[in-house]
Amino acid sequence: MSTKHALLGLLLEGSSYPYQLADRLQDRLGPGWAVGSGQVSNTIRQMEKEGLIEPTASGVREHKRRRFVSITESGEREFDDWLDAVLVAVKLPRRPELLKITLAGPERLSTAVEHIDAYEESCMRRLNEFLDARDSIPRQRARVRADYVLLRLNLSADISLLEGELQRAREVRETLLWLHSQPNAIWPSTAARSSSQAAPAWRAARNEIFEGMASTRREQPKPERLDR
Amino acid sequence: MVILRFERVCKSFRRREGSKLALDHVSFGLERGQIMGIFGPSGAGKTTLLRVAAGLEAPDSGIVAYNDERLSEMSTAQHRRYRRRSVGCVWAGQSWMPGLSVREHVELPLLIDGCDNRTARRAALKFLLACEAGECAELMPDELSDGERRRAAIARALIIEPQLLLVDGAVSGLSIVEQEQIMELLAELAQDANVAVLVADTNAGQLLRVDPIVYMRDGKLIGTEPPDERGKLYTLPTPASHPSAADA
Repeated sequence: MSTKHALLGLLLEGSSYPYQLADRLQDRLGPGWAVGSGQVSNTIRQMEKEGLIEPTASGVREHKRRRFVSITESGEREFDDWLDAVLVAVKLPRRPELLKITLAGPERLSTAVEHIDAYEESCMRRLNEFLDARDSIPRQRARVRADYVLLRLNLSADISLLEGELQRAREVRETLLWLHSQPNAIWPSTAARSSSQAAPAWRAARNEIFEGMASTRREQPKPERLDR
Repeated sequence: MVILRFERVCKSFRRREGSKLALDHVSFGLERGQIMGIFGPSGAGKTTLLRVAAGLEAPDSGIVAYNDERLSEMSTAQHRRYRRRSVGCVWAGQSWMPGLSVREHVELPLLIDGCDNRTARRAALKFLLACEAGECAELMPDELSDGERRRAAIARALIIEPQLLLVDGAVSGLSIVEQEQIMELLAELAQDANVAVLVADTNAGQLLRVDPIVYMRDGKLIGTEPPDERGKLYTLPTPASHPSAADA
């Protein structure tokens, strides 16, 4: 996240002080974004040096001790340039767990399954957190609150992503367990072999049926059965 | 040896808005032990092709031959025998009869063919096991996962020990494992049992272990997928008017 531009955007709506800015940013973006008050204070100091913001009087008595800042003209230009820049590159999330699974080999598949279990649990925890956050957005009355709508939009995007991750984790587990049960699967590493397992019960039935069907073909014509 | 042959087969359906050509001069040959895939968008004519091959629809023109015998020249008894014993079919969204268990569904083709209950039951259990659906035998079809239902449907089609298997929508909507299981089963059926298998699906990427794969569009088999068809699944929305400062 560009903390600098997010803060400039908030300051366009009115002057504020660092702690309030951190809180407002977190409220507007939801739990998907990690907003630290330390990071916000550092960024504000840096922006002040760059002349993007300047100290200002709050005008509110109880806030006299707070160090209020407001956006400068240079800051407004910086924000506009950032807003106008077109984003076209699609960034796909990289999944370290899938990389591990790809390279684990047959001997360590069961460890990979344990990792996936932990990942699934983590996905569920995050998903519940986002669902709670979405549910806690106050219900709108007659007039539309644009910030609520946009927060709901932000959260829904992350919820879809997490639901996808959860589904993916479950499919990964199903696939790993299935691969684990395939004694004849071919692996890239010739040294690594999956553990020797007895062929599943269906294998013998299938071989018998298919061999029978193939031999019936050889003994054509097939004897007639009762035709009704 | 070619077991199923289509020669310039045409089939059209009458619609309120006019006639629709579902098969447009379709020609191909399918050999024993071969597993051929047909893919293409919905409405391309894949299901009609399979229905004509199964003898459920008569073509308007052209030749459909099984073992060099034209379906159109078969006697009623021969035609019936073809449908009951030579060709097995698995249809997308296959209907299941209410009140019958999976095993009873699989037994049905044998019972209809005059087989006794005990033999039919034993065969059904064995075919379900061979199709990795042994655990589903006594369940009702609506209790199965999509993959299990598809494997049970294949068991039901195979119980007559057909020489030709037609599968419509083989693996659509299934997980990676279920796709692998079904395509492995079909590939082994072709290779080990010497059965000719014709599979239709909307997505060529799912037709694992199938060779050849032919693209179908507007009732025609046109070889490989044309470049302008690729990526059609996701298209940009029609450009809408953007909000401007004046609208605010």
